[in-house]
Amino acid sequence: MTIHATIKAASETSPFRSPENMSAIGLIARKEAGEIIVSHRGRAWLLAMVGVLSGFSLLLVGSTELSLLDNAQVVYDMAGIVIALGALLALVVGSDAFAGEHERGSLTPLLLAPVSRHGILAGKIGGQMVAWAVMFILSLPYLWAVGSTGQNLFGAILGLALFGTPVVLAFGLFSMGLGARLGSVRATMMTMLVVLLLAASPLLIGPSLRQSTLGSWFDAVNPFSHAVNALDAMIIDSLGVAAQSIHLVAILAWLFFALAYAVRQTNRLVR
Amino acid sequence: MENTMSITIKHLKLALGSTEILHDVSISVKAGEIYGLLGPNGAGKTTSIAAALGLMPATSGLIRVLGHDPVKDGVELRRRVGVLPDPNGFYDWMTASNYLRFYAGLYGARLSLSDIQKRLSQVGLEPKLGQPIGQFSRGMRQRLGLARALIANPEVLVLDEPTNGLDPRGRREIHDILIGLARDHGVSILLCTHLLDDVERLCSRVGIIVAGRTVAEGAIADLVRTRRGHRHFRLRLDGVSPKAGNREGHVMVLAQEGEWTIVAVDPSVPPEAAWSEILAAGWRVTEIAREGGGLEDLYLDLTDRRAA
Amino acid sequence: MTTHSSKGCSALFAGLLLVATGALPAVAETSTISIAISPATANVASPQMGDRLAFNTVIRNTGDKSIDGLIAWISLVQIDQGKEQPIDLEDWSAHKAISRASLKPGETISTQWPMRLIQSGHYRVVISAVSREGSSLTPSPFADFVVRSKPVVESSRVLPVALGLPLLIGMSFIGWRRRGRDAG
Repeated sequence: MTIHATIKAASETSPFRSPENMSAIGLIARKEAGEIIVSHRGRAWLLAMVGVLSGFSLLLVGSTELSLLDNAQVVYDMAGIVIALGALLALVVGSDAFAGEHERGSLTPLLLAPVSRHGILAGKIGGQMVAWAVMFILSLPYLWAVGSTGQNLFGAILGLALFGTPVVLAFGLFSMGLGARLGSVRATMMTMLVVLLLAASPLLIGPSLRQSTLGSWFDAVNPFSHAVNALDAMIIDSLGVAAQSIHLVAILAWLFFALAYAVRQTNRLVR
Repeated sequence: MENTMSITIKHLKLALGSTEILHDVSISVKAGEIYGLLGPNGAGKTTSIAAALGLMPATSGLIRVLGHDPVKDGVELRRRVGVLPDPNGFYDWMTASNYLRFYAGLYGARLSLSDIQKRLSQVGLEPKLGQPIGQFSRGMRQRLGLARALIANPEVLVLDEPTNGLDPRGRREIHDILIGLARDHGVSILLCTHLLDDVERLCSRVGIIVAGRTVAEGAIADLVRTRRGHRHFRLRLDGVSPKAGNREGHVMVLAQEGEWTIVAVDPSVPPEAAWSEILAAGWRVTEIAREGGGLEDLYLDLTDRRAA
Repeated sequence: MTTHSSKGCSALFAGLLLVATGALPAVAETSTISIAISPATANVASPQMGDRLAFNTVIRNTGDKSIDGLIAWISLVQIDQGKEQPIDLEDWSAHKAISRASLKPGETISTQWPMRLIQSGHYRVVISAVSREGSSLTPSPFADFVVRSKPVVESSRVLPVALGLPLLIGMSFIGWRRRGRDAG
């Protein structure tokens, strides 16, 4: 069978002429997620992530005298680490989403496929969500292992899903947008790493940050702070999720801003 | 006239920031023809293609591809156009079949593994089972890119350096595929290449872009024929050769190169009339060949003999 | 009322300060407040970390005058040998004190004091009360309880996860690779 005959046969059934192709978004999401899971880079990342959580868990094995509060602190710390790792993953994946494809020359064929820019962006966001879901699911056994006989394990999981997800996605979206603008993975990752270090500083230096005026302002606008403060309230102070609505609103505002930025930069992609 | 055109670009201007890249580009690709787009590096060929495909917005001018405005109807247009860009990157961790399946899916099609294997073998690509694209040679990647461009049975094919990295046999195979697509299936092909051999073999018409402007467009034969000041020929003469500077009718002897006599024919007469004059004058001509004057000379002249 | 209360408080604190520093003789007046304490019936017999306990108190005015400005609060101390210390109730209970503007003669206040058991050990609960005009503190009898230890991080749970999950992921990758990438 010649290529011409193949084309003729294919054009008779016209599988390529469907007016709407919503599955393209799903395909791109699957491709992105597949890259994270199937590629060497993705495997290394998942192993590194469980390695960090395993190391943290193993440090606790000898601690038999932990009070419930100490244990809650451990669960809180682990939830914070998972969010930080998730944001780091989103940063790496997001930086590569457009800038990496641009550098490898695979962006142009993708832009030339019959998928809108919004569709491509949605697919890449979907890939990020799958990657985060994998991380989230992998973190559950660890949270259970260190926190199932402590307090507020369910609160920790709920908080991680509710506050961690938009924070991670916001980092991914900012990275995608910046990568689309700069066209360079290295420049995007360097910039976003600095931003992540700054944003995640509440995890590193704790509540002392909030004692200065500048620190309290930073705390008020930093989505990472809102996430860890909400986790603190839910896991350690046993407060309800409804009381954390102000944190959720602040984080969702950042997510919306990040989405708008990514959409704008994706629309401006040339080739 | 424009109804028969698959691609029409008229007086295209395009700027990136404050820098104007394209000043005045006009090309027109007819339905079912293979059109060569030529020009030196940085002339604006790839940018013109990007504008034609809606990847870069034009500052002014008209662009229509299959009747679509590429900016307004981008998604619908891209459904009908196959493109092999340069550079042509892949997802190196994927296999060729997964890659084609992915792209077919973007066009809304689900191809079976056997369909994909056929597509691959028809561009001469038969990778090992499970071999990731990262292990492909440059030629294999080029063939895979062509298979991807053809995955949706396009009405228009835009190829940027399609035979890069292919050996002579591979080039010939790709040529045959392209000729077949244009001749048998009416696919319009816009071929952007530095390889003038490819253009001479494949294309009926060309456009030459220099520094963001179209400096020539039309059938290759017409462009070569009407090129001013380039009516030079080599004559093999039997007997005594005339000296350089001699003139016979509308024929001026320019030089002697071994057994060849280089002459210029006055543009005011067709070469056939000039040959009649010198034969009548007793020149014993055994062979006539065009001195240069082919596509390469045309290209070099129009691009100011800069490196292509 | 506010002014009066403020003056009363000031006098009380000044008196306490003077008692504490020994400037005045510490003569305890007979209190007209009595406090009875008992564990809630729902309490588990042998509680462990994470369980909740509650203690019921009945505060009665045993005098013939109203008691104004009554405040009662809960105190918790750890009494393990070598670990004797007051416990910061911050994390144990949000129900730390009650107050009543006036308690008539014979009137009672019934209160339940819930708490969540955070740390193992031997503990003692005492409810104390003072009034605005009174000159001494009235404590309840002690209510002791023991909190059994509960290992919150068990190696039998942590080790399989911490060692098994990386191993599982590594092996699954090898398995996928062997299965070939064209599948699916």
